[in-house]
Amino acid sequence: MSAGLSPSRPWRRRLDGMLSGISGAVVVLAFLFLLVPLGITGLMAFDSRSYLGPLPPPSFSLQWFERFLSDPYLMQGLRTSLMVSTTAVLIAAAAGVATALFLNRVSPRWSELLTAFFVSPLIVPPVVIGFALLLFLSQVGIVEGFVRLVCGHLILTIPYTIRATLASLAGVDRTLLEAASSLGANERRVFWEITFPLARTGIVAGAIFAFAISMDDVAVSMFLTDATSYTLPVALVSNMRANFDLTIAAASMLLVLFTILLIVVLDRLVGVDRVMGQGLHPA
Amino acid sequence: MMKPSRSGMLALPGAALYAALFLLPMVALGIESLRLFTPGRVGAAPDAPFTLLNYAELLEPGFRRFFFTTLRVSFVTTVVGLAIAFPLAYRIVRSFSSRWRAIAIGGLVTFIFLSAVVKTYAVELSLGSVGPVAPLLRAVGLSANNSTYIEFVVGAGLLQFIIPIAALTLIGSIQNLDPRLVEAAQSLGAPTWKSHLSTTLPLSVQGLLAAFLLSFTFAISAFVVPMILGKGRVQFLSNMIYNRFSEVANYPSGAAISLVTLVVCFATIYLVTRLVTARAQARGEG
Repeated sequence: MSAGLSPSRPWRRRLDGMLSGISGAVVVLAFLFLLVPLGITGLMAFDSRSYLGPLPPPSFSLQWFERFLSDPYLMQGLRTSLMVSTTAVLIAAAAGVATALFLNRVSPRWSELLTAFFVSPLIVPPVVIGFALLLFLSQVGIVEGFVRLVCGHLILTIPYTIRATLASLAGVDRTLLEAASSLGANERRVFWEITFPLARTGIVAGAIFAFAISMDDVAVSMFLTDATSYTLPVALVSNMRANFDLTIAAASMLLVLFTILLIVVLDRLVGVDRVMGQGLHPA
Repeated sequence: MMKPSRSGMLALPGAALYAALFLLPMVALGIESLRLFTPGRVGAAPDAPFTLLNYAELLEPGFRRFFFTTLRVSFVTTVVGLAIAFPLAYRIVRSFSSRWRAIAIGGLVTFIFLSAVVKTYAVELSLGSVGPVAPLLRAVGLSANNSTYIEFVVGAGLLQFIIPIAALTLIGSIQNLDPRLVEAAQSLGAPTWKSHLSTTLPLSVQGLLAAFLLSFTFAISAFVVPMILGKGRVQFLSNMIYNRFSEVANYPSGAAISLVTLVVCFATIYLVTRLVTARAQARGEG
């Protein structure tokens, strides 16, 4: 304590300088660590060589993008992905809104307990969910790949749609609902004319978030694919294991664009801060 | 406000989906893990006798190695990730201008959303046997197929996820810190490093624990990163579950490993949550 009273001692100043120097260096290195691999991928995606050569590419071309977009295997995966994710998210959003409305109505004690139950799939490793679903669906005789994938993506996304709807319902002023029903509106009308319009943005943002989660899944989908129904990430991963070429670099750059677009839309809708709060915390 | 029967109707779709796609599959998983497996079959026979053999097998050194590799790599990577994320979050909150702070946070959020396949591929392209680092490795006499190096690459892959997750969690908790506390400590004569040690760090422990929980549970359940970057040399529990399914169709063993993985996740969540509440109580009393 007594030593702390003389701040001008040179070694201590040096220590302070070192601390801020180290933290500054960590910041720079962290951003480099995150961005350089992406930059290398971006550079290689435009490589004009037909093989995987050392950096930097001698000249640039769009051949890998053309290859990606004309690859029947990957394009089939993209189509399946879009269909599976859209189907799953539409069902998950509808069921999520109903469930959240229910949770909003029961007593707080029950609501807390049931909410914990409904978000609990998020703390189960996705591989375990995928494997459990595979076992169960085989036992009850559901073998169609597309149906299996939709089932997997449903349980993957519902927790997010429930949580997003709960968050938006919390922002709806209850006195408005009471006013409407005291003026004679029935439950259905109160929901469609007051609750839904006020919570809509949050619900849509939750659905977009769920769509992003679904489009990115590998661990659950790996167990539920068959020869014709497989998603794009699964196709990319098996290509990556088989032959390491640059088609995936081109696909990666398109996925980066897709992600940036998604963030811009979500930011406009609800703000990046809220997206962050919903995405990070599983429980 | 609403008749109970109508509320019940609202619960129906969610309850049905969770029963069919979550609860029953988990029960099926538990039962399968207790069935005797006959090699050559796909999964256990529906009337196979019950046994604990699938769990007993996991005590063998061969499996224990996978178990400890998963825990060790996940733990080391999480600790390194927090050591990087903490100064990163602190600088973003305290020294960035509001414009750059918004850009940095937006960038981190985008990075979390970025496809796992993309992040994994980018690491493989940069640090793998075809990347710009490989010639440097060869120059110092190391092979990119060296298992220590592969473990390092898997760790680097996991950090691509852990750094943004941990940094964003910590940004939230550092934003709630009162900067005047550090200033007060400094104005009382403590040097900067000491004021951080006595104010910033202890007050950020809750945030650090939350970041640890998210990062560590992410790492132990990671699938794509060890599958691609581990090249079969470094494998996690998730990869074992998948191999039991795809290579030998030994579903009972895969089910037993799944339950072990689940127990590890739950135990981590339980322990860290206990720590958080214990700290909160201690502070409430003190």
